[in-house]
Amino acid sequence: MIDSIINILTTVTPPVDNGTFWLPRAASTVAEEVDFTFDLINWICYFFFAAIVLSMVWFCIKYRRKSPNMVCEGPTHNTALEVTWTVIPLLLVAVIFTVGMKGYLNLRESPEGCYEVQVTGQKWSWTFSHPEFGATQVAELTVPVGKPVRLLMTSNDVLHSLWIPDFRVKMDVVPGRYTSLWFEATKVGDYQLKCTEYCGKDHSKMFAMVHVIPADEFDAVMTKLASEYEDMSVGQLPAYAINRLYNRCVSCHSLDGTTGTGPSFRGLWDRVSSGQVGFSSGETLSSLLGDATLYGEPENYVRESLLFPQKHIVKGYLGSMPSFQGQLKEKQILAIIEMFKHLDEITDEEGNITVNLDGTPTE
Amino acid sequence: MKTIYAKNSPTDNYLNHTKGIKSWIFTLDHKRIGIMYLICILFAFFLGGSFAMLIRFHLLTPEGAILTQDQYNQAFTLHGAIMVFLVIIPAVPAALGNFVLPIMLGAKDVAFPRLNLFSWWLWVFGLVFFLISLGTGGVDTGWTFYTPYSIDKASSMGGVIPVLIGAFVLGFSSIFTGMNFIVTIHRLRPVGMTWFRMPLFLWATYATAIIQVLATPVIGITLLLLIVERSFGIGIFDPALGGDPVLYQHFFWFYSHPAVYIMILPAMGIVSELIAVHSHRHIFGYKFIAYSSIAIAMFGFLVWGHHMFTSGQSQLVNIIFSFITFSVSIPSAIKVFNWLATLYKGSISLNTPMLYGLSFIFIFGIGGLTGIHCATLNTDIHLHDSYFIVAHFHYVMMGSALIGFIGGIHHWWPKMTGKMYNEAWGRFACILVFVGFNLTFFTQFMLGSRGMPRRYATYDPEFQTYHIVSTIGSTILAIGFFITAIYLIHSIFKGKKAPTNPWGGRSLEWQCASPPPWDNFAEQPEVGDCYDFSVLEWNEEEQGYDWRKDVAHPGE
Amino acid sequence: MTTDHDQHDEIQVGHVVPIKFLTAICCLLLFLTAVTVWVSRYDFTQINIAEMGIIMALFVATVKATIVGLYFMHLRWDRPFIGFVFVGSMLFVVLFIGVALTDSMEYQPQIIKGDTPVVTEAMEKLKDAH
Repeated sequence: MIDSIINILTTVTPPVDNGTFWLPRAASTVAEEVDFTFDLINWICYFFFAAIVLSMVWFCIKYRRKSPNMVCEGPTHNTALEVTWTVIPLLLVAVIFTVGMKGYLNLRESPEGCYEVQVTGQKWSWTFSHPEFGATQVAELTVPVGKPVRLLMTSNDVLHSLWIPDFRVKMDVVPGRYTSLWFEATKVGDYQLKCTEYCGKDHSKMFAMVHVIPADEFDAVMTKLASEYEDMSVGQLPAYAINRLYNRCVSCHSLDGTTGTGPSFRGLWDRVSSGQVGFSSGETLSSLLGDATLYGEPENYVRESLLFPQKHIVKGYLGSMPSFQGQLKEKQILAIIEMFKHLDEITDEEGNITVNLDGTPTE
Repeated sequence: MKTIYAKNSPTDNYLNHTKGIKSWIFTLDHKRIGIMYLICILFAFFLGGSFAMLIRFHLLTPEGAILTQDQYNQAFTLHGAIMVFLVIIPAVPAALGNFVLPIMLGAKDVAFPRLNLFSWWLWVFGLVFFLISLGTGGVDTGWTFYTPYSIDKASSMGGVIPVLIGAFVLGFSSIFTGMNFIVTIHRLRPVGMTWFRMPLFLWATYATAIIQVLATPVIGITLLLLIVERSFGIGIFDPALGGDPVLYQHFFWFYSHPAVYIMILPAMGIVSELIAVHSHRHIFGYKFIAYSSIAIAMFGFLVWGHHMFTSGQSQLVNIIFSFITFSVSIPSAIKVFNWLATLYKGSISLNTPMLYGLSFIFIFGIGGLTGIHCATLNTDIHLHDSYFIVAHFHYVMMGSALIGFIGGIHHWWPKMTGKMYNEAWGRFACILVFVGFNLTFFTQFMLGSRGMPRRYATYDPEFQTYHIVSTIGSTILAIGFFITAIYLIHSIFKGKKAPTNPWGGRSLEWQCASPPPWDNFAEQPEVGDCYDFSVLEWNEEEQGYDWRKDVAHPGE
Repeated sequence: MTTDHDQHDEIQVGHVVPIKFLTAICCLLLFLTAVTVWVSRYDFTQINIAEMGIIMALFVATVKATIVGLYFMHLRWDRPFIGFVFVGSMLFVVLFIGVALTDSMEYQPQIIKGDTPVVTEAMEKLKDAH
């Protein structure tokens, strides 16, 4: 399971530059502004901190008590001094506030002509929908370089927060409401996107990868993505599902047999098709399969587990699977079913994915 | 000539005036209540600290070394809830304030002694509820209990409601202590103790008490609403029922921001005392420090939204809060400059309390200055909910408020116990705490600004070095605290007898015996300028300070 | 403690409000509660002010709060300073509600419109029940 995650995160070349002492690399237009503000504040702070500590140490050395009966004749007040060291910091913070506010307004006011992406956060994955192309990405976001992109976000369950550290943008994702952020990437490459509002067990694994690609390639890539599975034959669907859809499931369902928040996918189809799944209600799946029963075919059970996961909760699990209703097209559901059926052919014993999207084996 | 300083009586002081456990847990004596608070709070501190050590050792490796994700989530929740509600909010006011305030004021006790005892009992009930939650399923919502996660019974654990009840009860403990102090300071000042003759610790405690009374009811209501929402689904915070999760954050932070001033103001008051007494120098800018305490208390109510800059709060409100937040930083800066000016031309003794006071200035310097990064809108967008914030609040809450508390414990230890602790070990432990603290938390600033979010049980391998350094620092810190506990406990049994006035303080608590008698003062004490140290002289035999024989007493 | 009227020489007691008086105030408050309930049921559309119900209810609530403050909380006979403290704390209430409301109004456009699934389900159940 861990390997699969690392797979996803490092399938492209690692970052070229590693940023500065304090900050990661700056890869967006606002990043440079934020970094400037950060540095400005830092230098003011270095100065004042040095002044405070050095004077403190100096006084402690120079005015060290030499005998218990020392009498001190120091001043007890000086209004001019008080005013000075009130007014100067006040002026400095006024400057910092103004710089910060201007930068903030720029961060929040998205420019005209943004490319819009709809984001849904849920425990514990991100889904990105490109309405312009009708494509959906999970745990990955492809955007063009040099063009402003606006993310319109909402959550399906609890609070999350979308943070792309290299772009210096962040916004909470709130259920029942839209929030938005915008950025314009300046360099081609891959950048991590993290959830940064505590949302439960797998909060630390709720990642996505932002792929910034050249603007002229963008249209082609997105169109291909949108119809990726449309033209696929049934035999190509398992490779598609394991490469494109599985990252939605990875935080709870392993490929190598380890039990996570949800059952492992390894051997799942064997159990499902033979009805050997026990539910927390006491029933077993076998009583719900076959003629004149609730499901009939095991494929229907899988379909229902995706759309109405709370209907039958497998014994021994908490039942925290979110619903994917509205997020998966019918063909994608079919792809997932095919993936289960052919899991042994597309993964190995340790849970590594062994085929690429186009069906060629990975090395 | 009248003797100002009472002679220590080995046979009759507040510790041995009556005997038996009942005479302690049902006492009405503010000194005993203060000591009971001190013991309980230090116990809770070690409990919360154990969770902290679990967290730090778990984070040694990127995949997490010792806990499961669920256990880690519980660990940071309990660490936060215990430290905030059980330790640092009551620490200085309840433990040290209760003991010192009436004596420093010149009174026999607080205005409402029974209410004081009730406050302590409420604290104990609060602790009991927290312990109950450990047995009813645990809590993993984070100490902030953000909705909708804390409402959703399917995702968060079953121990949420006991913790909420516990925090509610602790809120009342805080409110009653605050009420008590306000009335005591208004009404029980002796003749001669005008407002501007009060030591600055009392000004700080007064400002804190105002916040306690005004702000704490809001968290009470918030926690009640959360309990009702979780149990009955009334739909105030839950968006599935038409509620607003951001509204919860407004409710929560309206108290929790002033709460951080409850934590820091009394500690700053202690630092004023430490700096002045241990450099035998009249505090510089008395009125400015006094007024800045009140200013911080007032302004602290206007800035809660700076915890919510990325929450979906509107732009207009964000700008207002950022603006006011900058203005609240100024009074704190004024205090730091005044303390430095107090050191100027002083007679500085680098004993343990003073070392803690100086550590405070160093650490609060960093904590306060990094507050600027957090208050600035566009940098906070990047830093919010990252380890930078974790580092910032540990610098101010732990490195400043807690260090001030420990410095105060050392400063008033001779008065409270009648014994002197071992000075060499005291200094050594202070240095360990200082070094350990900075190692632990300074690296976390870089962790945060370089992109590590908070409340993460696992992380990217690129951050591992920072975490290892941080854990090493926390081990040094823990050793420092253990050494402190050992020599302090040792001093109770084997320490040298303390004189009435070991440090040469001028405030009234140094005029009564160490430990004080049952009713504090044998005769009504006389109030002078509590920062004028020129009237004291060293008494070699007693190893303490006495009134100079050639100087008239204040009343004469 | 304020001792405006020293009823007895030996025992220092604060001003004692007669029980009959307090009972009368209680009855007045109960009457005003009845008014509030009546207002909530009366159909105000005839006067063409739809919000009249809310305005009246809030007005009555203010009157009741003032009566409670003045008589039950003894502010009528206390030093003015105590009254200022009470009003001061009300200012903090206004501050909190004001800012939270302002914020809420600012982000109203971003709220997702329509009923949530939970609410829809509940409404259906209610409809079925009738």
